[in-house]
Amino acid sequence: MNKHFVVGVFDEETQLMAAVNETLKQGFQIQEIYSPYPVYEAIEAMGKKTRFTFAAFLFGLFGALGVLAFMYYTAVIDWPLNYGGKPTNAFPSFLVVTIVITILIVTIASLFTFSARAKIYPGKAYVLPDARSTDDKFVMVFDKSANDGEYQRLTQLLKAEGAVEVYEKNIEPEN
Amino acid sequence: MYKTEVRGPLILGDKNYHQISSDIIAPINQPAPLWWKVAFGISNLALLFGAVAIYQTVAVGIGTWGVNNSVGWAWEIINFVWWIGIGHAGTAFSIFLLVLRQKWRTSINRAAEAMTVVAVMCAAIFPALHMGRVWLAFYIFPYPNTRGPLWVNFNSPLFWDFIAISAYLLISASFWYFGMVPDFATIRDRTTSKVKKAVYGFFAFGWVGTSREWLRFEALSYVLGGIAAVLVVSVHSIVSTDFAVAVIPGWHTTVFPPYFVIGAIFSGFAMVMTLMIIIRKMYKFQDYVTTNHLNAIAKILIFISLIMGTAYATEAFIAWYSGNKYEIFTFFYNRATGDYSYEYWTMIICNALVPQLFWFKKIRRNLTAAFIISIIINIGMWFERYNIIISSLAKDFLPSSWVTYSPTWVEIGVFAGTLGLFGTGVLLFFKFIPMMAISELKGVLKVTSYNTNDKKHISHE
Repeated sequence: MNKHFVVGVFDEETQLMAAVNETLKQGFQIQEIYSPYPVYEAIEAMGKKTRFTFAAFLFGLFGALGVLAFMYYTAVIDWPLNYGGKPTNAFPSFLVVTIVITILIVTIASLFTFSARAKIYPGKAYVLPDARSTDDKFVMVFDKSANDGEYQRLTQLLKAEGAVEVYEKNIEPEN
Repeated sequence: MYKTEVRGPLILGDKNYHQISSDIIAPINQPAPLWWKVAFGISNLALLFGAVAIYQTVAVGIGTWGVNNSVGWAWEIINFVWWIGIGHAGTAFSIFLLVLRQKWRTSINRAAEAMTVVAVMCAAIFPALHMGRVWLAFYIFPYPNTRGPLWVNFNSPLFWDFIAISAYLLISASFWYFGMVPDFATIRDRTTSKVKKAVYGFFAFGWVGTSREWLRFEALSYVLGGIAAVLVVSVHSIVSTDFAVAVIPGWHTTVFPPYFVIGAIFSGFAMVMTLMIIIRKMYKFQDYVTTNHLNAIAKILIFISLIMGTAYATEAFIAWYSGNKYEIFTFFYNRATGDYSYEYWTMIICNALVPQLFWFKKIRRNLTAAFIISIIINIGMWFERYNIIISSLAKDFLPSSWVTYSPTWVEIGVFAGTLGLFGTGVLLFFKFIPMMAISELKGVLKVTSYNTNDKKHISHE
């Protein structure tokens, strides 16, 4: 990651969004946007999509089937116990455990999916261009080589849209 | 967004993003105040008493308790149900209100979730001890074993209960933790202390707040919120089936699941109110926990209190309407006018009548009054469980097996110990974890409050 990057720092979400829209319109490629809270328009403008909900649905579907199958196996096939002559495959009363365990499976699987896809895990060597972006600043990062020769125009554009600072930086992992 | 304010601004005092971070992180960076140390000391003493009582229970056995052949469930199950009820606030607040897009939850959800995690831990102690031989507790897991394999009974509400509580603890703890990751990153990037940077940096899991991370973070919140909303209803419904499937008079009613769920949310919201008033007062967070927030909780409490009153009336009505003499005895002779009338009327007064004082705006806005009422509700909820469990078991069908029950010091000790555990857990939370979701507060700042620079309402539209 030892390349030159252009970093634009903004105070307000509205200014950030104006800059995002304007730079995209003029054909610049935004490397990444850092914000202290989720800015939905920025996520959309970056063209990021997630199939998270679909993955969660699959976890739930297979989780529920798995739990039901497990209970069927234990209560009907492996060791059928006679509880007062009631059917061994007590489907309605199996549903309670199925629902709760399915929720548990979806939760845990979703957390691991999140960890894998968003790359959030213990001991990660993170790259943070401007440490203020987890506090009160909205930060746009441009790869200089991808926007070659347009550096001056980009800087002016960001300033015109209300950037409080625009600077160049070599970004490397901190630890 | 709207021309008129329904709730008023959520964050007062003209904050900017930086101030929000500073305000919420401040208690972590300052030394613990005196009241904190005193409260922590008292909680630890209670915890110690609990440890002695638990040692006594495990080393000697359940015989150290006051339970007997008729009253086989006593303080332990009362306290278990009581703590689980308090633990309901986490799901109700953070998840239910998230799904309903209620933005006023942002100041409160973190504390409610912390409270949930600690309360469910307190609750879990009781059934474990009640097993008698707690070192064999692993028998309840359905694992392939050498005894057949003899699997657990998947049709038993007691097993459902175990599943529900363990799943609830895991789910609420992970939901709570992942909500804190962005805030830990904020602390990591603001602190000057090397130790704090390392510790909070580790717990932040390398969070930097890119659009890629936020996108998935939001997706995760809504998926977990959507699916875990079921837990608001399921956990306490399952607890209630422990009672409702039994044939004991006073327990064998179909109203139990909704009645328990509502009761749980009632005590959970009351405990949230208690805690938020403490947080507001002790940490001077009145700009974040505004009177509007407390007002909203108070209004919900009035409503739930009415439902509680209806549930008590329904129980009594159905007992009379059924014509079943055991049910009539339990409700009209045993509880309302008999040996348990003090407990019964304490329950009615604390849960159905006192919260009605919140109809008066003056009382809703008076923090001392609100604080006292929130505590009264939790006392009332404890007596509700006392009524259900003790009065029904002590006098059921056969007068020859009627007994009285009173707790021993060991039972009182275990309960005191869980109160100490709760106090300790909550105080550690106050000291080491941001008490409000910093990133969420920033998210609602401009949407819901006025900015002095231009008095116009800034909206996302």
